[in-house]
Amino acid sequence: MATKSGNATALTVLSPIKNGIVDGLSFADITRERCLRLPIHEKSPLARVPNTYLARLFVLEDVVYESLPGSDSVFNFTDITSFFSDAARKDALPRKDNLQSKYLVFSSNFYGDLDAYLTGMWEKWAYDDYGVQRDIRYIWEHCVAFDQVTECNDFIGYIKKCQLDASLFFNGSTDDSLQEQLKSLYLKQEFTRFVVAHQGKSAAEIQQDFKAFIERVQPENLNGPSWQPGQSMP
Amino acid sequence: MTQNLDLTDIQGNIIKAYGAFNFTKARYLFLRIDNGDKGREFVGAITTKVTSAVRWDKNSKPAVTTNIGFTFSGLQALELPTASLMGFPEAFAMGMKRRKDILGDDGPSDPIHWDKIWQESVHIWLSINGQSIEAVDERYQWILKQIDSSDGGVALLTGHRGENGEDDLPYQDASVLCDAEGKPTPKEHFGYTDGIGDPVFEGQTNIRARVLGRGKLTRSGQWEPLATGEFLLGHVDEAMDYPQTAPTPKLLAHNGTFMVYRKLHENIGSFNRFLDEQSKIFPGSKELLAAKFAGRWRDNGAPVVNAPDDASKAEWDKNYSAADFAGKKRMLIDFTYNDDIDGAKCPISAHIRRINPRGSLEYGVKDAFERPGALVDRRRILRRGLPYGKVMDATRDDGNHGIIFMALNADIKRQFEFVQQQWINYANDFKEGNDKEVLLGNHDAKNPGKVVFQVEKGSGKAPHFVNNIPRLVEMRGGDYFFIPSITALKMIAGGIVDPT
Repeated sequence: MATKSGNATALTVLSPIKNGIVDGLSFADITRERCLRLPIHEKSPLARVPNTYLARLFVLEDVVYESLPGSDSVFNFTDITSFFSDAARKDALPRKDNLQSKYLVFSSNFYGDLDAYLTGMWEKWAYDDYGVQRDIRYIWEHCVAFDQVTECNDFIGYIKKCQLDASLFFNGSTDDSLQEQLKSLYLKQEFTRFVVAHQGKSAAEIQQDFKAFIERVQPENLNGPSWQPGQSMP
Repeated sequence: MTQNLDLTDIQGNIIKAYGAFNFTKARYLFLRIDNGDKGREFVGAITTKVTSAVRWDKNSKPAVTTNIGFTFSGLQALELPTASLMGFPEAFAMGMKRRKDILGDDGPSDPIHWDKIWQESVHIWLSINGQSIEAVDERYQWILKQIDSSDGGVALLTGHRGENGEDDLPYQDASVLCDAEGKPTPKEHFGYTDGIGDPVFEGQTNIRARVLGRGKLTRSGQWEPLATGEFLLGHVDEAMDYPQTAPTPKLLAHNGTFMVYRKLHENIGSFNRFLDEQSKIFPGSKELLAAKFAGRWRDNGAPVVNAPDDASKAEWDKNYSAADFAGKKRMLIDFTYNDDIDGAKCPISAHIRRINPRGSLEYGVKDAFERPGALVDRRRILRRGLPYGKVMDATRDDGNHGIIFMALNADIKRQFEFVQQQWINYANDFKEGNDKEVLLGNHDAKNPGKVVFQVEKGSGKAPHFVNNIPRLVEMRGGDYFFIPSITALKMIAGGIVDPT
């Protein structure tokens, strides 16, 4: 299965949420509200988790229809011809079924390997929830058996149990590390500004200023000036 | 078989750009409906004077035309059945103000800065186009009488800005600009020649002569008229389909369309200063630079792609003056960017290239799409409208001068809004990052934009950057209007719109 594309990894996690109610609210509704209240852009907890290209969290209510069962081997002609009995045609329709619980879905495209990424999630995920500091456990709190997760290795094991294989992974990004990509974007923007500011100047002047420019932007130094993860304004 | 349109049923402003028929003056009125019954009666009275698209000859050309359109809240006030109202598309129902994030109407263009008239609910748009101001005024007086007779059913809204500091005028006047001798010109206040390349679609008259450069580009490099449904509801469009969202009954929408009205203020002082400053560092004349902003030369509208520098412009002018009428037309509109994919001749951020990239979004990859302009043919708009106001002081931005921009299209979201959002205020489709179109882009004073003038590959020259682009055009107000057919107008007036 193609969970990797170069150095990029696709992670899809479905964690079952406990059936039940507390204080008149279902665990699923509590979890959904926590997802909806997550801050965005620079303040998103995902901006702190190293190497996240793109990620999303949501609560999956149900999946009512399964895909077409085996009888589509007759090209679904059963749908349009009366040659087959009514029962046979109905058999060819997608089968209906319901999930036993609601699921917390976490889907992420990131750079590097899963264990390192999940360690980053466990250690770095933090945000301000209208004045209260939250960690990663707050989102997964009401998922089945998550109460047994007390340390990083538990978390990695738990997520891996909930992981689905990706079958068609299209990485919409390059597969460089996030730091590398942010630095590239920063350099591109700064270089454009440099070029515009030096249009028509003498070669000597441009060369001299370019040295100062390089010293300022530090192209090789990923920890030097750059864009920040989640940055929303130039 | 070519399509025959029912010209007596279609409002004339959809098919004709009145300005091209010597209607040099226009007056736009906006009304509020206060009573459904009386409002419908008023619409019925106006309908008797509404100008259709029927062909004119010397004897039948009127001195003045009248056309009418409604906002979504106007249709509500006219008490259209809810089931009919719910069929209208979301963009139209929301209205222009609520679409400001999509349109980039921010900063000085934000609706809070629009003319006072837009601070309240506008229901009806009425346009008068005349061959003289006297003819316009006569029709205006007639309309005032109808408003009066409506007995409080409709009210004429005031609140247009004027040239002398007024902010409460009862109408918006517009007029072609005249030269020093008082002769009408096709110019707007920045000095550009406007309105050259409007789209041509099936069902319009005299297509063969007009389709060059204005229809859709075929694989063999010919031009064909665009599908009627791009500009008229109830007809098949470029996707060989009817509109996805349309009100019921069908007759309500059939032969109608949607109109975008925008009062665009031109910052003349900023434009002149910007042009002066940038021309100091531009390798070429000031007029060439101005031409590169628009994609056309200011004096005669010569397309920059065919006259990309001062020398070739002189040559182009020579050929132009030697050409006959048809030849002149062809020189102005029959061109593509096929030999200028990188934008070395006509910059990719030039106005006319952004709003109609012709076949250039194939990026020279032959057969990338079914037709070279497949991505463009669904994004065309008919442009109507005229300049308004006078420039009192060419060093200043304030005052009241610009263009009343009116665009007609079957799908506001797919056509006008897409062009505005993706092609004017953004450049991903053009591989130019977030560079905005030079003249109309919503340039941000805090983070001023730039555009790139590319050079021929291998020429050894450096590309030219135009930077610190100020906001040259600002919004002063507008909305989205439904322009019904004359049949639909009668149905609305009669209160007999029946969605069942």
